[in-house]
Amino acid sequence: MAELDSERPAEVAIDTRLDPAGSALVTVSGDLDISNAGTLEQAVASITAERPERVVFDLSGLRFMDSAGIAVLLDCAGKVNTVRLRDPSPAVRRVVELTGLTDVLSIES
Amino acid sequence: MGLVVTAALALTSLAVYNRNERRLLNLRVRELNLVLAATVPSIETPLASAAELAHATDGSPQKFRAFMVPYVGHGRQFASVSLWPLTTPRLAPTAVVGAAPILASMPDKARQFFAHTKPSGSLNLTGILGTARPSLGFEFSSAGRKPGLAVYAENPLPTNRRSALEGNNAFSDLNYALYLGHSRRSADVLVTSVKRLPITGRQASDVVPFGAGAFTLVVAPKGSLGGTFFKDLPWIIAVLGVLVALAAALMTDRLARRRQGAEQLAGILDRVAAENRQLYTEQRSISQTLQHALLPDTLPVFTGLRMNVLYVPAASGVDIGGDWYDVVAVDDRRVLMVIGDVSGHGLRAATTMALVRHAALAYVAQDPRPASVLAKLSDFVNSGSHDYFATVLCALIDVDAHRLTITSAGHMAPLLLDGEHAEFVALHVDAPVGVAGNSHYHEATVSVPPNATLVAFTDGLVERRGEVLDVGLARLRDMATRQQLPLDDLLVKLARELASDDHNDDTAIVGIQWQN
Repeated sequence: MAELDSERPAEVAIDTRLDPAGSALVTVSGDLDISNAGTLEQAVASITAERPERVVFDLSGLRFMDSAGIAVLLDCAGKVNTVRLRDPSPAVRRVVELTGLTDVLSIES
Repeated sequence: MGLVVTAALALTSLAVYNRNERRLLNLRVRELNLVLAATVPSIETPLASAAELAHATDGSPQKFRAFMVPYVGHGRQFASVSLWPLTTPRLAPTAVVGAAPILASMPDKARQFFAHTKPSGSLNLTGILGTARPSLGFEFSSAGRKPGLAVYAENPLPTNRRSALEGNNAFSDLNYALYLGHSRRSADVLVTSVKRLPITGRQASDVVPFGAGAFTLVVAPKGSLGGTFFKDLPWIIAVLGVLVALAAALMTDRLARRRQGAEQLAGILDRVAAENRQLYTEQRSISQTLQHALLPDTLPVFTGLRMNVLYVPAASGVDIGGDWYDVVAVDDRRVLMVIGDVSGHGLRAATTMALVRHAALAYVAQDPRPASVLAKLSDFVNSGSHDYFATVLCALIDVDAHRLTITSAGHMAPLLLDGEHAEFVALHVDAPVGVAGNSHYHEATVSVPPNATLVAFTDGLVERRGEVLDVGLARLRDMATRQQLPLDDLLVKLARELASDDHNDDTAIVGIQWQN
């Protein structure tokens, strides 16, 4: 795992895609924590405004996520029928498991 | 020519000073408003929880008293709290904790007040009661409930209604007056720092919403808000300006003037930066004061157990966090421990935390089994239009039986230390409260070895960016295993070593140690 400079705010890259069939794909990469979770929150809000059936978060490029990131995912799960997490790293997967959320945020790898 | 410029500069600077003072004063009144508004939950939520408890227990005076006792008395939220059934022919409280309510000695006023209160889900205010010891009364009726039971509290106003803000308080540079409602009449003043009303001179005012009513807040600076530097600035410029003008007249050296101007500007910028740092520090102290006001200030004393708690605010930023804890005695052999973390940061997370915390205590008073407490708490959070969630760990401790019954709603398992060994308690982690669709919680029962120590914590203690959580958990376990310290020192050691210097999350730690 790369050494992180904790003095700097975490950097995250977000890409959103909505297909006509009513499924959304949100690709999140980098590090997601309290300092930048708001960016994802806004991206997710613009997606859920389109009322998709399901939202898939591609997390294969996400190295780290804390409880602020979990809050955004949960908020999304409350607004659409299905939320899936695709290919999370062990660090991200453990946060979901330790928060008792494997039933709410189903993981597909 | 130079003197004209100097005079103009001095005048401009005086105008800037006046404008800055007004701006700062407006900022301060808004800050003070925020702090006052943030104290509403510490009054409202215990009464709201007591109202729910009263409805759930058909107005049981015993349950009411047991729940309210920790909130009543000197230095606590209320001087007097009482439970009033409203459907009986004679209007009188069935349970009183603390002083006898003044309202009980004023039957007409009481009838009139309770007839007009609506079950709005917020506080109703009586107005100022009594003359010998004037008090303010608050009533809470749950929204959507039939009026039938009212929870009523009273607090005396300070003697002569005067109270100065403490010297180390972030607002000690202000004079203030707080009025009931939208009035500014002296008769309606609740508390003020000045001998004579009204407050005169430069002032700002704001309305503080309070339950179904409001307060009006008027503040005025005691001295200069921007510090003496800004007050003196017009004179400094005048004096410097004269020197500059003389230098200009003698040497007509424009470069020299420019350089002096630049140096002067650099000096001013330095001072502004210093003022900003001071404002930041004050804001931070306000946040921490609030957080401490929202958390319990005393723990129960229990034979056979040693207990301690530690709250560490985030190292950076001025935000308030959503971490909380509670330790309450259920009966003479059982203690209930709650620790939790409401999602989000800032004032909203802190007030939500106060709401969830008091609701949990009310459910504990009904039935202390952890799975039952969390199921009710989950229903409570799901029933509103809330968009937050909270991780909560709830443990019922049977002291003599050395037994622990524990439930986790998305919260990390506590560490159980037994001499050289330390293991996280094995339990099934259910979803956090506030996650729709979940209201069933698992309980685990664990035997506790003699002289063992239970350490429960929030994620700030183990979470570090760029690291799998298990690494942080292992670090905590190793650190705790190596220590042979008294409980108080152990908690301080863990907080100091593990809540890393750059942590941007708050941390709460609860330690419970068996004495046999």
